[in-house]
Amino acid sequence: MQQQELRQLARKLLEEGTVKVVIGYGQPVAGAPAFPVFITDPAKVDTLVWNEQCFHNLTGYLKRKEIRALGKPAIVVKGCDERTLVMLEKESQIVRSDIYVIGMACSGVGEPQAAKCACCEVHMPRLADSVIGQVDNPPVDASARYAVLDEFLSAYPTPAARMAYWQEELGRCVKCYACRQICPLCYCERCIFDKNRPTCVDTSPTLKGNFGYHITRAFHLAARCIECEECTRACPVGIDLRLLNQSLSRGAEEHFGFRAGVDPEAELVVGSYSLKDREDFIQ
Amino acid sequence: MSETTEKPAGNGFEPRIIAFVCNWCTYLGADLAGTNRLEYPSNVRIIRLPCTGRIDFNLVVKALEVGADAVIVSGCHPGDCHYTAGNYHARRRWMLFREVLETLGVDLHRIHFAWISAAEGKKWAQFVADVTAQTRELGPYNEYRQIIEAEVS
Amino acid sequence: MSETITKDALLKLVDEWIGQGKRTIGPTEIKPGHIRYARLEDSAALKLGGYIRPQNSVKEFVFPKHEKLYRYLFEGKEISLAEADGEPAATVVVGSRPCDAAAFDILDRVFNWDFVDEQFNARRRATTIVTIACREWDDYCFCTSVGLGPAAPRGSDVLLMPLDGGAYEVRALTDAGRALFAGHTTPAEVTATEPAGPERKFDMESVGEFLRASWDKPLWRDEALRCLGCGACTYECPTCHCFDIVDEGNARGGYRARNWDACQFRMFTVHASGHNPRPDQPSRQRQRILHKFRIYPDKFGELLCTGCGNCGRACPVGLGVLNVLEAAAKAAVEG
Repeated sequence: MQQQELRQLARKLLEEGTVKVVIGYGQPVAGAPAFPVFITDPAKVDTLVWNEQCFHNLTGYLKRKEIRALGKPAIVVKGCDERTLVMLEKESQIVRSDIYVIGMACSGVGEPQAAKCACCEVHMPRLADSVIGQVDNPPVDASARYAVLDEFLSAYPTPAARMAYWQEELGRCVKCYACRQICPLCYCERCIFDKNRPTCVDTSPTLKGNFGYHITRAFHLAARCIECEECTRACPVGIDLRLLNQSLSRGAEEHFGFRAGVDPEAELVVGSYSLKDREDFIQ
Repeated sequence: MSETTEKPAGNGFEPRIIAFVCNWCTYLGADLAGTNRLEYPSNVRIIRLPCTGRIDFNLVVKALEVGADAVIVSGCHPGDCHYTAGNYHARRRWMLFREVLETLGVDLHRIHFAWISAAEGKKWAQFVADVTAQTRELGPYNEYRQIIEAEVS
Repeated sequence: MSETITKDALLKLVDEWIGQGKRTIGPTEIKPGHIRYARLEDSAALKLGGYIRPQNSVKEFVFPKHEKLYRYLFEGKEISLAEADGEPAATVVVGSRPCDAAAFDILDRVFNWDFVDEQFNARRRATTIVTIACREWDDYCFCTSVGLGPAAPRGSDVLLMPLDGGAYEVRALTDAGRALFAGHTTPAEVTATEPAGPERKFDMESVGEFLRASWDKPLWRDEALRCLGCGACTYECPTCHCFDIVDEGNARGGYRARNWDACQFRMFTVHASGHNPRPDQPSRQRQRILHKFRIYPDKFGELLCTGCGNCGRACPVGLGVLNVLEAAAKAAVEG
């Protein structure tokens, strides 16, 4: 039983002083969504759970100073969350040896199952210090990866139709910044949206301010987003944000053969270039 | 009258085009067009930056926000960048940026990229004329105007 | 003897309001799985059952997320100012919950305190609130713990009590409410059952006392660890009302506006010097709870919370004020 093993491992790590805090999932009410917990006391490891309600990507907490202040962490990750750790290390935000990674074999989260799980290739974590559980990695139809985006593009085939869709969707945005705060790769200490001398993007939740914000945030994640879809889950007004991120991820894959966080050796796309980059739209 | 400035009789819509160009190639190319007395449409407003690598995609968004009907981005040919690699970085950025613009429904026919060197004054004049004619055909960029709120009527 | 209205008659009445040009707001499914208060095009869009409560509150129709205060235009060397928006449209909110309506009564205090906010008051006067009492609630609801309940009449112009069989008992509480329903109700010998509401989750008195002495308690750090510092809870809350004032425009002109703001943002209390008196999430969480359950009550005699539970539902990591108050109740007992 994965949950049992996880609790045992957490107790051991805390008791032996290998880590000071275990970042995992807790679930005080059975059946309700699990949520992030931070266990520092080995006596409290029974708070940890592992089930289909564990959809959060916990790696975002590694950047928060209140968590760093607790000391060396162990973190519970699914195969998809692990991709964040690869990116964070390549971007020099974490030192891998400063984290104890507990990888959970996962056959999918969410009820109904999250769309991203249907084309998951990393049911088994690849880079963890300890792996708990065993699950097969069934072959995946790579074209299914962008199914949600393709559905959107065919449902709204013209620029005018798409623009109308986004005006309606982004019109609802209230600038709560939940998408930014939950994104593990949004870690800038001075975020461009917090700047006001001068202001780069209108902070107002007008169409202009919302378009400016979402275009900028999507583009700042170009070829960095690991498609955990937490931003879409976090949005309180139901905007399908992953459509923007998926279009950039597909661009990165088609133009540069790159998928964020998959190959730890691959060179990052943005910030580098190749003489072999080819385009047909520049005159 | 030279070919490059022919204007069709029409409803009088004159596109407003903003061009972000690099200082060392395209800006000098535009200057060369000037010294050679080549005429090209005055619809374009040129904004000079040191290098295409400096062009933040947000500038393109802001150009649309202030009411541009089309945007031009132009710089040195690959291999000729004054700062060695700025245009390579820019090229990568643009390859990705167009993807998200397409999903958003921004009309990509209104965003033009070019490599124009300091010796290509003729190419600059022709390019601007082509973009202006195309944009005149497309009409004002009304869809983006709906997003702009800072205008006071 | 009570006044009643059938569901069909109510929907017809809603269409009448829309036809009269009233901005008519009600719960509607804006996309699958998302029921929010929004403007109704016709009564068919009004969703009356099958969910606990809409995801948002009704405050945005009196206190919008973005509100222009005035506009300015540069004409050569002249600057002209103009009023931002005209008179607020006559508005009817139909299908609000008691926890939404009560918020207006509470917000009236701060918007008419040291500065009388005429824009807020004008929208308030133009809005008539038709509340439907609750017969269902979930684990996020805690209205009964903060002095309210599933049929609390505070802030409503009309309270509709659901009857078995789909009709409603109509309790018109104000002149505006009476005017709205005049001639559309039928008298009947029925009284709706008073719903019990969710069981009390904590004792506000003892929690309040604990909060008074809680400034340095470890509770704040423990509860805030998972808080992301976004504004989802604040913006879906019926009583949160902080705002930021911005000037936006270009070389031709612009406007001054106020936008919703949230005390959970890191930048909320950054001073011009760069100093931030609430530099971490625990201090910001503490501020949120104390403002709602100690500071506002001390100043205005009202809890700044109606127990609607929106915060817990909206929070991406399941941290609503209920979670923190339950932790406080526990800490109060354990000492």
